[in-house]
Amino acid sequence: MSDVEYTVDEIMCTALAAQYRDGDEVCNGMASFIPIAAIMLARMTTTPDLVWLAGAAGVDPRPAKVAASTLENPLWGDSVMYLEQYSDFWHYAQNGRNLQIFCVGAAQLDMYGNPNNSVIGTDYHRPKVRLPGTAGLGDMGSLGKRLFYWNPNHSPRALVEKVDFRSAAGFLGGGDEREKLGLTGGPEIVVTNLGVMDFHPVSKRMRLRSVHPGQTVESVQAATGFELLLPDDGNVPETTKPTAEQVRLLREVIDPDAHCKREAGVKV
Amino acid sequence: MSLQEAAALVGDGDVVALQNMATQAAPMAMVRELIRAGKKNLGVVCLVGGMPVDWLAAAGVIDRFIGAAVSMETFGLCQQYRKAVEEGRVRVEELSETSLNARLGAGARNLPSLPTRGLIGTDLIDINENLKTFQDPFTGETLVACRALVPDVALIHAHRCDEMGNVQYDPTIIWPDLGIMPKAAKKTIVTCEEIVDTEVLRRNPDRTVLPYFRVDAVVEVPYGAHPTSFYPKYTYDTRFHLEWVKVARDDEATKAFMDTYIFGPETQADYLDAVGGAERLMEVTRL
Repeated sequence: MSDVEYTVDEIMCTALAAQYRDGDEVCNGMASFIPIAAIMLARMTTTPDLVWLAGAAGVDPRPAKVAASTLENPLWGDSVMYLEQYSDFWHYAQNGRNLQIFCVGAAQLDMYGNPNNSVIGTDYHRPKVRLPGTAGLGDMGSLGKRLFYWNPNHSPRALVEKVDFRSAAGFLGGGDEREKLGLTGGPEIVVTNLGVMDFHPVSKRMRLRSVHPGQTVESVQAATGFELLLPDDGNVPETTKPTAEQVRLLREVIDPDAHCKREAGVKV
Repeated sequence: MSLQEAAALVGDGDVVALQNMATQAAPMAMVRELIRAGKKNLGVVCLVGGMPVDWLAAAGVIDRFIGAAVSMETFGLCQQYRKAVEEGRVRVEELSETSLNARLGAGARNLPSLPTRGLIGTDLIDINENLKTFQDPFTGETLVACRALVPDVALIHAHRCDEMGNVQYDPTIIWPDLGIMPKAAKKTIVTCEEIVDTEVLRRNPDRTVLPYFRVDAVVEVPYGAHPTSFYPKYTYDTRFHLEWVKVARDDEATKAFMDTYIFGPETQADYLDAVGGAERLMEVTRL
């Protein structure tokens, strides 16, 4: 196959889209252009029956393209139903039957997949940086959901050994700590601008699953604030590149306004 | 009733539940009036607070925030709020969405608390005296009890009301906070796009979302949610948000901004002129 030109937001989209299976049910949060483009791409190509609740409110929307906001009209254009955010949404989301996947960002994410969107610093009430707050993630981490993390700025400041504050439950201290609290589900995948990570099934430590073309195990490790585990056979493959058709859909149909590119710091 | 008379129903130190979801549906005219009136030591409750929380923090009106997040979504963090928290001027009671819903739900139902399954395993429980884990008496399962929250006042913006306080909403996505805040709060103040005769409401009772016996004051304020969105009538004002984001990192520029848009305009019409008049209104109503 000839080399397809693509940008980093596009390989993040295709890597995320590849995680979905038909019948999965996913909702997106605030300021999440890449996750939304990935969902739209998956629904257009590999998993037309992927259930999407746009902005945790619009059921099965058909937006013409990625909108200027992921928590505003017209993201939920052509929805078949609107859920009321405060109560109705949580009636569906608080049990395991629906909306099993939540695709979310974290200002800090640690080696066991615990996120921090609350504060940077050691004193919660006099933080160095006040972050937006846990919002729905503080619930999603404890409700048996599958968490898909994404971050277009993979760095030692974002992927840290231990978060300053645990805004939601990942695998806590690792091993069976999560199970012992009676929590099911948990972090499943981390897609960044450098590669794709998952979690070791026993230790629950973050593990490098693939590196994006142009990256190496060493370069991803150098950008990470803790030691990443490698697959058991020690072999870290390249992330599958976007196809020409995926790139065309993303550029011409899904995100012609290049919101994902700006989100990933790609020049437009 | 005027905005000034309605604002007089809010006392210093009150806990105020504010309708808002990032860039959506905030009673902004009422928020500006609270700032003009020089209210002090308010606590503000939001699911996701945006520009109004930033303004209230900048003006020194609030000293605590109770809610799940503060963000202007695509326009980024609320810098004045952030600074106020980092300097210790605003204290944060950070809740998840279900625990905020449980606190307000218990307040509305006159219960001491309601439980949630959310937050288990997080650091948010230990630092919050209003959250406690307990064993469910039926299953033995560990849950989080969320203490009842009864705000002193709920502030809501709606499409139309009658003089008695019946509140109507047009079909739109997310009726932020209408379902819970006025039901939990001791008082409710509603600003609305228009006040109409009760007979108008009777034509579509399915759109009436709050009954007059739960509403204490109504004020007609067209475009009263600007610069936040208020579908289906108008969307959020992108240019205005960008202007605020640009000044909010600088205290002097913030002060000048507030003089221009909050302290300067005497009426809602003056305010709408200040933000760009008919041209800007045409822009935000082009959905």
